[in-house]
Amino acid sequence: MARQGGKAAAGRAAHPAALSVLSVLALLSLWEWAAGGGWVREAFFPRPSSVVAQFVVLVRDGTLASHLSATLTRVAWAFLVAALPGVAVGLTMGVWRGAREALDPLFAFVYPIPSVLFLPLAAFVLGRGEPARVLTSAVTSFFLVAANTLTGVRQLDRGVLEAAVHYGATGHRLFFKVLLPGSLPWIFTGLRLGLGFALIVVVAVEMVGAEQGLGSLLWLSWQTLKVRDMYVTLLVIGFLGLGATYGLERVRERLLPWQPRVEVRR
Amino acid sequence: MTGAAARQTLRAVRVDARSLAAAGILVAGWEFLPRRGLLNPAYFPPASQVVAALAEGLSAGELLPHVAATVSRLLVAFFLAALPGLGVGVAMGLSGTVRRVADPYVALLYPIPKVALLPLMLILFGVGERAFVLTGALTAFFQIVVNTMDGIRQVDPTLVEVGRNYGATRFRLFWKVVLPAALPGILTGLRLGLGLTLVTVVAVEFAIAKSGLGHVVWGSWQTLTTPRMYAAFVAVGLLGLLLTRGLKRLQDRLLAWQTSVDVW
Amino acid sequence: MAERAGGTLPTARVRAEATEAKVVVRGLSVRYTSSRGTLTALEDISLSVQAGEFCCVVGPSGCGKSTLLRVLAGLIPCAEGEVRIRSDGPQRPLTAMVFQDYALLPWRTVLDNVAFGPENRGVPRAERYRLAREILAKVGLSGFEHAYPHQLSGGMKQRVGIARALANDPEVLLMDEPLAALDAQTRNLMQEELLRIWAEFGKTVVYVTHAIDEAVLLGDRVVVMTARPGRVKAVVPVDLERPRTLEQKGSAHFARLYNEVWQLLREEVSAASREAGGG
Repeated sequence: MARQGGKAAAGRAAHPAALSVLSVLALLSLWEWAAGGGWVREAFFPRPSSVVAQFVVLVRDGTLASHLSATLTRVAWAFLVAALPGVAVGLTMGVWRGAREALDPLFAFVYPIPSVLFLPLAAFVLGRGEPARVLTSAVTSFFLVAANTLTGVRQLDRGVLEAAVHYGATGHRLFFKVLLPGSLPWIFTGLRLGLGFALIVVVAVEMVGAEQGLGSLLWLSWQTLKVRDMYVTLLVIGFLGLGATYGLERVRERLLPWQPRVEVRR
Repeated sequence: MTGAAARQTLRAVRVDARSLAAAGILVAGWEFLPRRGLLNPAYFPPASQVVAALAEGLSAGELLPHVAATVSRLLVAFFLAALPGLGVGVAMGLSGTVRRVADPYVALLYPIPKVALLPLMLILFGVGERAFVLTGALTAFFQIVVNTMDGIRQVDPTLVEVGRNYGATRFRLFWKVVLPAALPGILTGLRLGLGLTLVTVVAVEFAIAKSGLGHVVWGSWQTLTTPRMYAAFVAVGLLGLLLTRGLKRLQDRLLAWQTSVDVW
Repeated sequence: MAERAGGTLPTARVRAEATEAKVVVRGLSVRYTSSRGTLTALEDISLSVQAGEFCCVVGPSGCGKSTLLRVLAGLIPCAEGEVRIRSDGPQRPLTAMVFQDYALLPWRTVLDNVAFGPENRGVPRAERYRLAREILAKVGLSGFEHAYPHQLSGGMKQRVGIARALANDPEVLLMDEPLAALDAQTRNLMQEELLRIWAEFGKTVVYVTHAIDEAVLLGDRVVVMTARPGRVKAVVPVDLERPRTLEQKGSAHFARLYNEVWQLLREEVSAASREAGGG
């Protein structure tokens, strides 16, 4: 998200975040009061304080940690399995027109298929187990990384390429000193989107078939009607998504100081 | 036909020829590897069987209700989300106060996989269409909010100044300057929203619904009727292709003044 | 690149023997075949540039002056005619180009951009950085070694572009409207800078521009080209005394030369705009 409005607002309010904090506090206390007074059904909307209490319980007895680590491990593997071939394929398609034209129709067809559906396919190949879940979660991320990498290569300024060739960057030097660094910003966008999508699919896959993981905890809490557990899990997943997005953005800023700074959400 | 047009057509045909060849090799492999026993035909039935299953499912009407179920959930969810999403996005884009009040919720809820909200919807509304559709609608809603807000905030301030200078009132300024300038972002949001909603709807069907293409894949997996499973798979792929390509083309036509960037 | 294979291709850009002018262009034509037929960009260009000369090329937009420069640079092959560039040091690249839109690598610092050419020729790291720093100092960019292009103004970016070209130590320096993207004041400043840098490095320069005052101020000769297809219409020697300064723009002699070039260019410019309007 672009935040160019932030500076202007700073002049008016004492602190630009004050209103946001106030908004959250107001909603939480309204919720607390309404649930406590019986205005909304606590079976559906438990008091925030009781959700926090349950959070502490789940942290203490290790439930959250074991599910969280299962999910994180899967996301990490899926991300890795998607990112490396994704970048390689994207770069290949970027520099080699034959590959681009051959793969384009296949990718256009497979890319929009929701990843969860690949679970049976992956299970046929790898058996019902962890590798199948990881592979399933990697499918869409792979396409996102490849697509953005390809765009990164294609959008390189022709004038800059011409100049680089003129100053002797040919062959592998052209690739490693020009094409790769020049498309890095797009590769990073692809990685960021891919990481987000890996989380989405991992949770979905855990919901339909895994004994461990935040998705299965969510599913279990529905089936056993433990609403507080559900809210805790949702919060954790939310912060996980937030962390993945902003974490990778920080990494990008650190690694690509030559880019004018743009803040993004997504 | 001029030389330029002829050459262009020729090039397009050549590209298609190469793509067709690649697709042809893939389909041929899919046909012969299982037939030769190099792939287990129980898991990977030959392409011809899948096509037959798809044709039969569509003509005998066995698959059609599932296609209809998925499409109708998708459309209901999308239209349920579109207006509120646009409204909230515009408000957050125009007013700093609204943005700061709503931002924490959008920031926290936007990155949550919306399938994860399915259990909550199931608790609130019980197992049924309302829960399925609302989970899909939430997907589209947040996507539309975020893209609309960004689209409006990225409107070039000089355009607004030009509008003011030429005497546009606040109301006209919004309709004649801000909205058209933000349209690319808004349309992108609608397009992505629809695409992601398909993902959510199919996942919901896969997980719990008793109809829809997602359910067909799940059900055929459990009973190992693989030709039917792949037929549903192909149907979802075609649906997705139709949505992504068709909407992209529509967007390009509506925004003829914009240069288009193509990613699948 | 073309120069390495020079011996085998009779029409390509070649390294030449030591006895002739620095740059010799003979009967050069460039044609583009497109769907709308054949377009002649350059027709029968013959031109020679002496060692250490500052040669300016002016012409109406679209007359192929940039194409001429790109042929000299080896970026476009020359299909008809020949281009010979005299090589005085066997390891030196024949040309280095300064581009109108800078064409700096945005992910490299100023220092790394300037060291890019030597880096690609395998010059050791310490040596090429020493060289780059030295040249940066001479173009007035000391202290900006670690800045990225997006942090610099247009004038500073073009100084980096010039430093990059000089660091490659070419036989001939090619400049493609290097000041066209700058504002008027910066352009004046940079003209003075170019005079100073040229005097210091003593390079042979082929300088394409559409600004007549720039061509007259900088050049030893001004080559005037015709509207498309580009031919050499006339060559105007500039006998303003050196070292030159911006103040000379006010002299009567400068005005006479300016007018001479302008009269030659005038009918070509209107021919070019007629063609652009009609087609």
